[in-house]
Amino acid sequence: MTPDLHLWLIPVLPLIGAAVNGVLGKRFSRQTVVAVALLFSGAAFAMALWVASQFSSLQTPHIETLATWLRAGDFQADFAFYLDQLSLVMLLVVTGVGFLIHIYSVGYMWEEGGFYRFFAYLNLFMFFMLTLVLASNYLVMFIGWEGVGLASYLLIGFWFTKDSAASAGKKAFIVNRIGDFGFLIALFLMIQHFGSLNFTEVGTLWVSPEFGGPPAGVWTWIGLLLMVGAAGKSAQIPLYVWLPDAMEGPTPVSALIHAATMVTAGVYMVSRSHAIFQHAPEAMMVVAIIGTLTALFAATIGMCQTDIKKVLAYSTVSQLGYMFIACGVGAFSAGIFHLMTHAFFKGLLFLAAGSVIHAVGGEQDMRRMGGLRTKIPWTFWTMTAGTFAIAGFPPLAGFFSKDAILWKAYSSPYGSWVYWAIGVFTAFLTSFYMFRQWFLTFFGEYRGEEHAEESHGHGAHGHGGVHESPAVMLVPLVILALLSVCGGWIGSERFDKFLAPVYGFTNGSHSESQEIQPALRELQTRTEENGSETLLTGISVSAALLGFLLAWQLYHRRPQLPARIAASLGGFYQAVLHKYYVDEFYATVFVKPLIDGSTKLLWHGVDRDIIDAGVDDSADGVREVSDTVRHMQSGNIRSYAGWVAAGAAVVIFYMVWMGTR
Amino acid sequence: MNSAAMLPQAADYMRLLPEIVLTVFGMIVMVVDAAAEGQDKERHIEKTLGTIALIGSLAALAATFVQAQYPGFAFWNMVQVDSFSVFFHLLITAVTTVVILTSYEYMAVQQIRAGEYYALILFGAVGMSLMSSAVELVLIFIALEISSISTYVLAGFRRHEATSSESSVKYFLLGSFATAFFLYGVALMFGATGSTNISTIEDVLRSGQIPLLAYAGVALMFVGLGFKVAAAPFHVWTPDVYEGAPSPVVGFMSTAPKAAVFAVLLRIMFEANAPGRIGLIWVVAALSMTIGNLGALVQDNIKRLLAYSSIAHAGYLLVAFAALPNNGIPAAMFYTASYAAMNVGAFAVISHFGGAGERYVTLEDYSGLGRRSPLLAATLTIFLLSLIGIPITGGFFAKFYVFSAALQANLVGLVIIGVLNSAVGAYYYLRIIVVMYMREPQREAPVARIPLGLGCALAISLAATIYLGVLPGRVLEYASRTATAWSR
Amino acid sequence: MTTFDSSILSLVTFIPLAGALLLLIMPRRDRETRWVALGVSVVAFLASLHLPVHLVRSQTGFQFEVNRPWISSPNIHYHMGVDGISMWLVVLTTFLTPLCVLISWKSIHDRVKEFFILLLVLETALIGVFTALDLFLFYFFWEATLIPMALLIGMYGHGRKVYAAIKFFLYTMIASMFMLAAILWLYAKTGTFDFVSVQAAIHGGQVEGFAAAAPWLFLGFFIAFAVKVPLFPFHTWLPDAHVEAPTAGSVLLAGVLLKMGTYGMLRFNLGLFPEQSRSNAWWVMILALIGIIYGALVAMVQPNLKKLIAYSSISHLGFVVLGIFSFTQAGLDGATFVMLAHGVSTGALFMLAGVLYERRHTYEIAEFGGLATPMPVYATFFLFVTLASVGLPLLNGFIGEFLVLSGAFRDRAVYGVLGATGVIWSACYLLWMYQRVFYGKVTHEVNLTLPDLDGREQAALWPTVIAALVMGVAPLLWLNSIDPAVQSALAPFSILASKVVGR
Repeated sequence: MTPDLHLWLIPVLPLIGAAVNGVLGKRFSRQTVVAVALLFSGAAFAMALWVASQFSSLQTPHIETLATWLRAGDFQADFAFYLDQLSLVMLLVVTGVGFLIHIYSVGYMWEEGGFYRFFAYLNLFMFFMLTLVLASNYLVMFIGWEGVGLASYLLIGFWFTKDSAASAGKKAFIVNRIGDFGFLIALFLMIQHFGSLNFTEVGTLWVSPEFGGPPAGVWTWIGLLLMVGAAGKSAQIPLYVWLPDAMEGPTPVSALIHAATMVTAGVYMVSRSHAIFQHAPEAMMVVAIIGTLTALFAATIGMCQTDIKKVLAYSTVSQLGYMFIACGVGAFSAGIFHLMTHAFFKGLLFLAAGSVIHAVGGEQDMRRMGGLRTKIPWTFWTMTAGTFAIAGFPPLAGFFSKDAILWKAYSSPYGSWVYWAIGVFTAFLTSFYMFRQWFLTFFGEYRGEEHAEESHGHGAHGHGGVHESPAVMLVPLVILALLSVCGGWIGSERFDKFLAPVYGFTNGSHSESQEIQPALRELQTRTEENGSETLLTGISVSAALLGFLLAWQLYHRRPQLPARIAASLGGFYQAVLHKYYVDEFYATVFVKPLIDGSTKLLWHGVDRDIIDAGVDDSADGVREVSDTVRHMQSGNIRSYAGWVAAGAAVVIFYMVWMGTR
Repeated sequence: MNSAAMLPQAADYMRLLPEIVLTVFGMIVMVVDAAAEGQDKERHIEKTLGTIALIGSLAALAATFVQAQYPGFAFWNMVQVDSFSVFFHLLITAVTTVVILTSYEYMAVQQIRAGEYYALILFGAVGMSLMSSAVELVLIFIALEISSISTYVLAGFRRHEATSSESSVKYFLLGSFATAFFLYGVALMFGATGSTNISTIEDVLRSGQIPLLAYAGVALMFVGLGFKVAAAPFHVWTPDVYEGAPSPVVGFMSTAPKAAVFAVLLRIMFEANAPGRIGLIWVVAALSMTIGNLGALVQDNIKRLLAYSSIAHAGYLLVAFAALPNNGIPAAMFYTASYAAMNVGAFAVISHFGGAGERYVTLEDYSGLGRRSPLLAATLTIFLLSLIGIPITGGFFAKFYVFSAALQANLVGLVIIGVLNSAVGAYYYLRIIVVMYMREPQREAPVARIPLGLGCALAISLAATIYLGVLPGRVLEYASRTATAWSR
Repeated sequence: MTTFDSSILSLVTFIPLAGALLLLIMPRRDRETRWVALGVSVVAFLASLHLPVHLVRSQTGFQFEVNRPWISSPNIHYHMGVDGISMWLVVLTTFLTPLCVLISWKSIHDRVKEFFILLLVLETALIGVFTALDLFLFYFFWEATLIPMALLIGMYGHGRKVYAAIKFFLYTMIASMFMLAAILWLYAKTGTFDFVSVQAAIHGGQVEGFAAAAPWLFLGFFIAFAVKVPLFPFHTWLPDAHVEAPTAGSVLLAGVLLKMGTYGMLRFNLGLFPEQSRSNAWWVMILALIGIIYGALVAMVQPNLKKLIAYSSISHLGFVVLGIFSFTQAGLDGATFVMLAHGVSTGALFMLAGVLYERRHTYEIAEFGGLATPMPVYATFFLFVTLASVGLPLLNGFIGEFLVLSGAFRDRAVYGVLGATGVIWSACYLLWMYQRVFYGKVTHEVNLTLPDLDGREQAALWPTVIAALVMGVAPLLWLNSIDPAVQSALAPFSILASKVVGR
């Protein structure tokens, strides 16, 4: 008899906050709005902590069914919540980081119009994200899945009077929809072959003796389609394009949604579906390859970005790539581990970047920064922690998780040295562009002018030169900094052990399927391969170091050098600078033809010129016939008599003919 | 045939009562009119004349019920009173009543010296009622002539209008041309069967070999009757005549005589069960429907438009003739009734709205009528919807019975033609509705307030249309009695 | 079965008509007219609520039946009754009509009396269509919807209203002729119009010559319904009709009239001609798919707000047809649910469009932009409804589409996949439209001063928004009664019924 934890409260609390602020917020004072928003998100966090404290006493998975959502024939989906180690980790990350970012936003958004709107959206996002991680079947997960998409649409387009922001929000939603399309199809396949969408059943049915399980092809298809969905949500090739644009949103949003939580939903979903992937090695390979390519690809773009947030955006894409490598090689727990640490340091980096932007009056271009080290020390030090963490310097969080991934990319039965090699190279690039950013921002001379023009409608930051952010923004920075430093000290082994039941229980007693439990297998294999691991670790660390040194050379010692290199690289540099022209490519190959085709071909062509024209023509035809009929009426009596006579003749002949027959 | 030997009984006169009543009142009208000659209290006179005529028609209506009490043959088997004839008597007298009610105002507005007008209507009615009860081809011919001649004259009654006289002449010449055909037909039929009595003819035709002459006879008679009902290809006269003739008269001659002629046609086709029916009617019906509807599409003069529509409706009606007796006959009878109701009503509206000299008879004149006189517009709309064949109107069930009868006779092709035609037909009736409600008036055509007489006329035909549309059961059952009686 | 239960349907059906007659005899006073119309429609709605409350979920077949002989020859009965499917369509109708009255409160100021009379007559006819169980009665109401709708468009519309009205009338009129022919044939052979007995006769194989005629009969019914839905390529009347129609007209047209087509397919094509439905399903579904994608693509590029919504309806109704002809439990459940959901959300969209038209007298999207600044409340409502019809989970659009697609996928995977692209398209055209209308800076000075929603307009919109939410969160309230009805509808497809989603 497991205690009833009322898990449903965790997502619903922020929902209430969103409702209150959304409906009444207009009349509230800013203080009240803040109070409401923090109260409910904080409550969710507290609740999560309490659940964690209870966790040891539960047998997992702990499922709470609230009500039936929809039923058709034999198919049924419930509002049910699902708690196991995996969702617990996600739960803590989301509520924790989320709450911190709420606090930070108070300071960051204080001057903004639509204050209440912002916090309502933020709470709404929390609701959907928590639904996503607590769902006990794919359909409820899909609620959260779509919902976070909506929240991000609203928050990216928060400054909706700016066309770029509005477009970015739309782009994000639509690209995500493309992913969701894949997700939906995957769901249909599951319904068809498992008759259910519950994690437990989708996971276990294949081992139940009376059910042989669907053909291997189906497993692969489901896996691939789920990956399509994940690629949309977690900004992987080819659907990553929306994330950089998403930086149009306020910085806290970028931190919460587009770094710490939402974008990692794809990773969560894939590792949640491990039972399926373990039956679809091909699908897993695809996942790994996509992850690898994305990691490398995004990192290269990140090297040339000048917008402080864009750099972080591409680095996020690249880091997500790492996580997918982990999932792709079956090291789900490592992926989740990186997900967690990444949430810490990338959240931190974004918030810090926000603090910088705040300091220099809304300026986002790093070329107009520099020398901020002394002016905003808190921000500087926290950001430093984050930078070193993401670059993978031991003993910071990033080091452990990245190291775990790289090691498994190499050693896992699904792994390959290629993944590892590219991973290491990417690690080098990562540390290079992160330190490039670090140097550009905090070292050298201040290149911006005082009273910077406010961009992105981010008003009221024009006042009095560079200044440190208020405490309400710094506190979250510090906490996150601490986490980014110590977050990894659990060590990936312990993390693995903790998550093992998640990946173990699906085939709990069935030891015959040895090769499909990499997570477990890892635990055994680790020990004897210790030697090689330390070697690999060394390599990756030195890669990070190399990156640091290069950045130091180019952007601190000899700042004029990069320009020359860029010039020498010429075309390639341009390509990278313009993000390989991917957006332009999509625009010309998909968007434009679609719109032109629909307008000229379908609407004007088929609808107007064929269908309508056809109908009208036939109508005119009838009218013409009728005209001729009318003109038979000459009005001339002799012709009339003629008609009658003719008709009579015909009739008579017909009848006589009838008679003679 | 011993009844032939003795002199007519009282019952015989009873079986002819409506005709007698009508004749008497017709004469009274003429006499009174003659008496009033010279004194210029014409306006007054007209009212009286009209009233007399009205009383006459109502009396005839009443007389019909009396007549119904005496079923059987009269006057040496020349006249037969049965449910069939009674049905048509009622119909014709009712139409006459409505027409007279409509004419009240019309006469006044057109400033037509009424005189024989009402008398002619009554005499016409005599002929028509006689047609429906006559079972003797020669008598039928005479009745036909009576009704035709009076309608010829009526058609020319708008003396100031050239078109009117023209239409009268056309109608007369072509009409006599056609009746000639009928007469030949009668003659041939006599030659073929040795009798002009329908029941005798029937016996002959039923008994084995059918002489070729009979076919020819049927053909010729059909030509004559087809002309009267304006069935293609004998329809050519219709548009011109309807356009020229006074609206109430058009309302009259497009319904009552048609009903009567259809009655005759029914007797000849079914009671006498004429040979070679189906194929002949199939073609004529299809032709009439198509030509009528197509012709109407582009008309801008409402009277012409309705002329074509009447051709089309003759076509629909003929479809029933191609069907089997026990479905076809009731269907046809019902159709005549509901067509009479809606068409008389429509023409009543037109004649009221036409104004002095029937100036306002083009579509443009009807624009914005829905705004200027909502009631009149609504009424006309209902008649038009009935002509289209929209549910809860008589027109719908009329079409419905006809088509289902045809389907039961497996005339799928004909039904499809009919269905498509009624789709086409919908368009031009709709045009009028559209103009009335959705166009703003170009030139303000005045709308006089509706006088009592017209009001009654409209109310009656409206009630009839709706009644036939909501509870068609009784009428249809009555009609189907005939079918059972004939298919003994 | 209490007497009330047997009379409730007649009551619900004819209350509006009675109201219309009342208005007819009432003096021409606009204010009173409006209030009476509102009152009557609300009463009708409340009365209709009796149905879902007292429907016996467990019992299959029709309920609240009333069956009296109307015309002896032909043998026509006044036979009404509803099952879990038609019941909700009735409620949808009565739900939307009061909102139509509210939304037309100010926008109709000329010939007010006629307007509300037509509206109420239309309501009666619509309800009749869904309750009639006698083929003749059905056809009767079916045709009866035509006139008031055409007049509403023609008299109170704008622009090329006459063209639109005539096009609407003729398209549907001509199409329904074929249905009439088919009905007549059935009557000629079975001697009855009663849907239940005709169905029994057909399934019992007691109709001679049926085998030969069935394909044609199927087509006869199908064409009439396909034009109403409207299915590609019969759809071109819809955009014209919508653009020119007054707001209330559009609401009922998109909200209910289109459902007549899909309902007809479900009830009559599937009910009477199972084999033909089965054998023709492949191309019908293709037409539906074309509708989904084609409608969405064309909607995407419409410069006119109402045309856009109209084309989006084509796309959504495509889902319904797809679901119906998948012959799966999920598919039909979903199809029915989409009918209702689309009725609510598209009804709301048209009302919102109408609100804008009242203020600016144009539907051209280019005339707007940045409206979120002057009209925040309006923008919020619009966004909510947009999301509902985009098919966001927890809102009404999602449930139906999901079930339909899973059903279609179950039946023919390719069709399911193609249909599922709809989720992308709908996001494209709706969000793009929303951005063009509401986001960015205000481009036209006039728009700066536009008043936000007033109380009356909100009163008209709140119900739809709430309904959209409830339908999304607690679809079972509807599915519980739809599901059994669908099961019995699928009975003839027993082979398929066993293949419903799930094992």
